[in-house]
Amino acid sequence: MSLEGWVPNLSEYLTLADVIDQAFDYRGNTTVVKVDGTEVEGYIFNRNKDVLEPYVQMFDVAGNGPFKIPYSEIKNIKFTGKDTATGNSWLAWLERKEKEKAEKAAPLDKGTA
Amino acid sequence: MVPVSQMWAVASYVLRQKLRGRKRYPLVLMLEPLFRCNLTCAGCGKIQYPAQILRKELSVEECLRAVDECGVPVVSIPGGEPLMYTQIGELVDVLVKRKKYVYLCTNAILLKEKLEEGVFTPSKYLSFSIHMDGLREEHDEAVCRDGIYDEAVEAITEALRRGFRVTTNTTLFDGANAARVREFFDEMMRLGVEGMMLSPGYNYSKAPDQEHFLRRTRTRELFSKILSNPQKHWKFNQSPLFLQFLMGKQDYECTPWGNPTFNIFGWQRPCYLLQEGYAESFQDLMENTRWEQYGRKSGNEKCQDCMVHCGYEPTAVDHTFNSWKGFKDTVVATLTGKL
Repeated sequence: MSLEGWVPNLSEYLTLADVIDQAFDYRGNTTVVKVDGTEVEGYIFNRNKDVLEPYVQMFDVAGNGPFKIPYSEIKNIKFTGKDTATGNSWLAWLERKEKEKAEKAAPLDKGTA
Repeated sequence: MVPVSQMWAVASYVLRQKLRGRKRYPLVLMLEPLFRCNLTCAGCGKIQYPAQILRKELSVEECLRAVDECGVPVVSIPGGEPLMYTQIGELVDVLVKRKKYVYLCTNAILLKEKLEEGVFTPSKYLSFSIHMDGLREEHDEAVCRDGIYDEAVEAITEALRRGFRVTTNTTLFDGANAARVREFFDEMMRLGVEGMMLSPGYNYSKAPDQEHFLRRTRTRELFSKILSNPQKHWKFNQSPLFLQFLMGKQDYECTPWGNPTFNIFGWQRPCYLLQEGYAESFQDLMENTRWEQYGRKSGNEKCQDCMVHCGYEPTAVDHTFNSWKGFKDTVVATLTGKL
């Protein structure tokens, strides 16, 4: 299931670190809502939680960056961009091929009936 | 078969690493200068990114810095589609001048055009590694577009005519027909390619097709069927021990640092297939990745069914130089063609 459009409600069961992990795995743009109220929209390509001051790295929607944002400056992350990993190009291709095969087979079926 | 000069370059490099006592060393750099591609293949999980990421490219300087940092003798340029990289000619030219063996991994759609434009010059250091997942029907289905097999064959013929080294790279998924794959090998040899590279597909979590990746047992069955009694005219551009591993005749553990990956995000942790973060330098990648969390023995479920070349071919190469048995097995398989 895609997370596209998701605005997480942080709680004791859904921590900011959990949301950051999900955003890191998400193949679309997100909007990082910072503690100071500002927002940065872009693609989060990295997160490092194994350092003294954990951070995410992202390119903004214009492709500028990478910007490093410490976890401590992040209030929430909204999954605002299209999830590029949920495209249906392969399924569409399969459906089209099946239809072509069926069309090719149709006259033969008539002939043999 | 890999040319002797290339074998020697790799062999002397590996021996140097061993003499220096390096426990972990890279063998092939996977250099991804862009993620943009002109195909959307069913089994590919590399290209699903927002537009601003797909527009980005590494500079030639960034690419060369990565090559210098890791010091490998072989550079593989996948992507994305590397022929869409705006500086591909310049990058390859510099790498060849530095005597790096370059495998340019392409779907070949743009190859004929680039050859006609004179972007590349034939060299023993440059090999076009053409993505071919089988004969016409199988390949066009794998890349989700009709006509691509014919375009690739045309490009292979043209590249060979112009004196370039040409190899093929083939990824196999569940449902592959062993007899058809063998026919495909015959056809590639008839075309005159120098050698073929094989690998089972990896189950990328972001790939459109999540159903047809091979599990371990099925991989061994399939590759045993394909590679048992190999035809004498078949030539493979990879370690015979890796092929034996795919057939279940060798038992190897993954070497995730063997083919490190560098792209617009940095050094990918831990390997070409898994994307669990990025290191800022090659040294950071090698020193601060928890390697013990990867590979089959680690219990990591993402690694359990993986038998992909980027993790296991470095193990096979290391085996060749690590033991007399490995060396003997490699020599026998190379000389006799038997796997």
